[in-house]
Amino acid sequence: MEVLLYSLRKLLAGIPLVLGVTLISFLLIVYFGPDKTYELVGKNPTAEQIAEVRSQLGYDRPFVTRYMEYLREIVTLDFGSSESTDEKVSSILARTIPVSLLLALPGFILGNALGVLLALVAAYFRGGLVDKLIMGSAAVGMSVSYLIAIIGFQILLSSADGLDLFPVRGWDTSTPLAYIQHVTVPTLATVFVALGYNTRFYRAVIVEEMTRDHVRTARAFGIPPAKIFYRNILKNSMVPIVTRVVFSIPLIVISGSLLLESYFGIPGIGKVSYDAIITGDQPVLKAVVALTAILFVVAQLLTDICYRLVDPRVSLGASTR
Amino acid sequence: MTALRTVKNIALCFVAVSLTAACEGNGNGSSTPTEVKTFHYSMRSSPGSLDPARVSTVSANVMVQTLYDSLYAYKYLQRPYELKPRLAAAMPEISDDGLTYTIRLKQGIRFADNRAFSNGRGREVVAEDFVYALKRHFDPDSRSVAAWIWQGRIVGLDEWKRNGADYDQPVKGLQAIDRYVLQIRLTRPYPQLVHNLAMGPSAAVPREAVEFYGREFSVNPVGSGPFRLISYDATEAVLVRNENFQREPVSLAEEGYDPITQGQYGLEVIDGRRAPFIDRLEISFIDEGSARWSSFTKGNEVQMAGVPAEQVYRVLESRDPVVLKPEYARKYHMSTEKEAGFVYTAFNMDFPETGYHPDPVRNERNRALRCAIMKARDWNARNDSWYGGLGEIFPGIIPSSVPEFDPELSRESVEYDPEGARALLAEYGWNAGNLPELVYSSQPGPTSRLFFEQFRGWLTNIGYPKEKIILKTYATFADLSKAWHNSEEQLLSLGWLLDYPDAESSLQLFYGPNRSPGSNSSNYSNPEYDRLYEATSVMQPSAERTALYRQMNRMVIDDCVVISGLSRVGIALWHKNVVALPDNNFVGGQFLQYVDVLDKAVGSAVR
Repeated sequence: MEVLLYSLRKLLAGIPLVLGVTLISFLLIVYFGPDKTYELVGKNPTAEQIAEVRSQLGYDRPFVTRYMEYLREIVTLDFGSSESTDEKVSSILARTIPVSLLLALPGFILGNALGVLLALVAAYFRGGLVDKLIMGSAAVGMSVSYLIAIIGFQILLSSADGLDLFPVRGWDTSTPLAYIQHVTVPTLATVFVALGYNTRFYRAVIVEEMTRDHVRTARAFGIPPAKIFYRNILKNSMVPIVTRVVFSIPLIVISGSLLLESYFGIPGIGKVSYDAIITGDQPVLKAVVALTAILFVVAQLLTDICYRLVDPRVSLGASTR
Repeated sequence: MTALRTVKNIALCFVAVSLTAACEGNGNGSSTPTEVKTFHYSMRSSPGSLDPARVSTVSANVMVQTLYDSLYAYKYLQRPYELKPRLAAAMPEISDDGLTYTIRLKQGIRFADNRAFSNGRGREVVAEDFVYALKRHFDPDSRSVAAWIWQGRIVGLDEWKRNGADYDQPVKGLQAIDRYVLQIRLTRPYPQLVHNLAMGPSAAVPREAVEFYGREFSVNPVGSGPFRLISYDATEAVLVRNENFQREPVSLAEEGYDPITQGQYGLEVIDGRRAPFIDRLEISFIDEGSARWSSFTKGNEVQMAGVPAEQVYRVLESRDPVVLKPEYARKYHMSTEKEAGFVYTAFNMDFPETGYHPDPVRNERNRALRCAIMKARDWNARNDSWYGGLGEIFPGIIPSSVPEFDPELSRESVEYDPEGARALLAEYGWNAGNLPELVYSSQPGPTSRLFFEQFRGWLTNIGYPKEKIILKTYATFADLSKAWHNSEEQLLSLGWLLDYPDAESSLQLFYGPNRSPGSNSSNYSNPEYDRLYEATSVMQPSAERTALYRQMNRMVIDDCVVISGLSRVGIALWHKNVVALPDNNFVGGQFLQYVDVLDKAVGSAVR
């Protein structure tokens, strides 16, 4: 009951956040976003035709009216149709979000799990050769741009000039085998880049915990190091780890990964969002912005609930962390 | 440690299964059964809408030509391009005054099966479908981008729109005389009409499908073309053979086959057979050159692709003539495709700093300034830097892809002449102090930046102060497009693809009434040019019309309104087991219905 009441309170408190994010985003979209009119008017438009298209796009209506319409769309989750393809936005999202999720999930899980694992090892051997080796490798991973990692893995593992083990591009989830074939190289590229950042972050968190008094005390009592690591260090490090992990979820669900999707020909939400930004496809953009904001509110709620799970001292009562 | 162990186990399992999958699958994830003859094609960009009324890009045109049928088409192999009937039974009967076109349709042609039809079976294509398709362009709800083609040309069509675009109301100049006869009455002669009836926007569209799908008709195409759509997203379209597509067997002789220049492609195997020859057409939309190239060279993915500019030097033994290196020639067929269009840099004449000026003396000095900038342009350097040295440089705005091209025209306007440019500036009193600022507008990105730097380099070479040549970047193409349509840009680097093989398609770019927001982005205004344009716009192709076209071309060159031009030449490669000759010019994509795929092992067509 406590969790339910807390969730309701938190969701209600998230409404101003959603309103704020959507208002600012909509302002930017309307006043600084691309004008789609000239893409839709053809080669020799008359002033009348331009006005007609602007009216169809809603550009001639007052900002407040348009924003109210946007709020109605958020409440009903009906964002109309894409101005580029005329396909319903809900259909586009329903088709592309699962693809982005399936694409990003293995890399996300592996990147974080391996990051925590390597961070634990590095922290355990803090200052030693193993630590330096892991941190040096992390720095190398961080230094390589995502784009280079993608192209590099694609050439190395997929192309005729490389090992030619996986498809260069495409997406197929009809069987688990097909899925694994198509997701492996994007996952490796993601893990290669994310691992460095994750390892460094998690190591810093763990090292900070290692220097706390309760850890020193536990050591003084002669508790085995593995037990100290699990009970005293890892458990107490979980709050920042959970925060980082949960707050990454909305980006995975909605933003996808433009580069991965473009280079590997994967029909996810990342490419759709990018195309919407550069072409000024407002219905799609509005949906992506609104859903991202809503998911962040949900992520915030989940984070707080997870805090409670990993740290019993945390209360979900009136005053929250 | 249990949680950590679990995560580790999952990770290890994933890697193990991945490697097993990789070893077993050898990278071919396709689940397509082997007996299905599939052709994997690639295009650079996703088409967006597949509605014939919304066709505005090359890739969209390719898709529409593959899914829909138009009345006429260009012969597959004939060059120069020549029209032939497609859904029409014959070429149109044209009245003596050139105003009435009577077009008879083939009988028994059916749309692809689709649930939009009452019983799911595609019904017969009739003349009324063309009436409906053309009316749609004037219906605001269709959001047509192609209405300009027929605007003011068909009797009563503009009025039909003004009267509320009611499809049940007839249009005087657009009538189905009977089930198989279409009649179009023009307000004035329009010699390009038949070309327009070969374009995607003229395709037959079934009214019930538009009404059934509403706005989503754009992603649920229902046509009578050789293929029908199975799936479509931003990265790929999958099409299968339209079982209802029954046409005459291919006659290579009638398609203009030339065994001397086209004999190496093995096209003889399609002679006498009914298209299409493949069961499944998979089109990948790949913007990234490296990904496209890797997919193509892999062997079991994309089977036909353009060579990315950065790979041109790697694959070619020589550029003139274009010859593949032996290791590529062994594996691939090759053709070069010169675009039916050109790239150019236009001065916006609305800017008094470099364009029209009320003071006649300054006006003349501005012309000299533009001519000097034109002379400063090193087209060969641009060609080598960006187009693999393969592009065709030509003077003016009539490229060699149209019959009105003038091979005898002086090439002075495309010759690199910095000395001449400096002399011209000095003669007209221009110096570093009084030269006006030049604002070069572009999209952001390294390529655009390098284009600008090269341009600025040419101008500094003739004494133009570097700080007076300014780059103005826009966040997106849409922003840039808006600015130039509103005549806000002084200098524009543009590309233009002709809609049909008639120089009128590029001459319209400088016709006064087409000024911004129209296609005359230069806002060129020359009464004599306009007079000739109007005179030629009603003339059928003739030596007289060609002479007038060429006269207009010289006017544009003499007034130094545009720095032009270069037709880019692309290299297409395709696997040896694919029988095809790609061509995406004009209505592009029609070649896809003639593609065949051979059995690699046997070396013969899989039937």
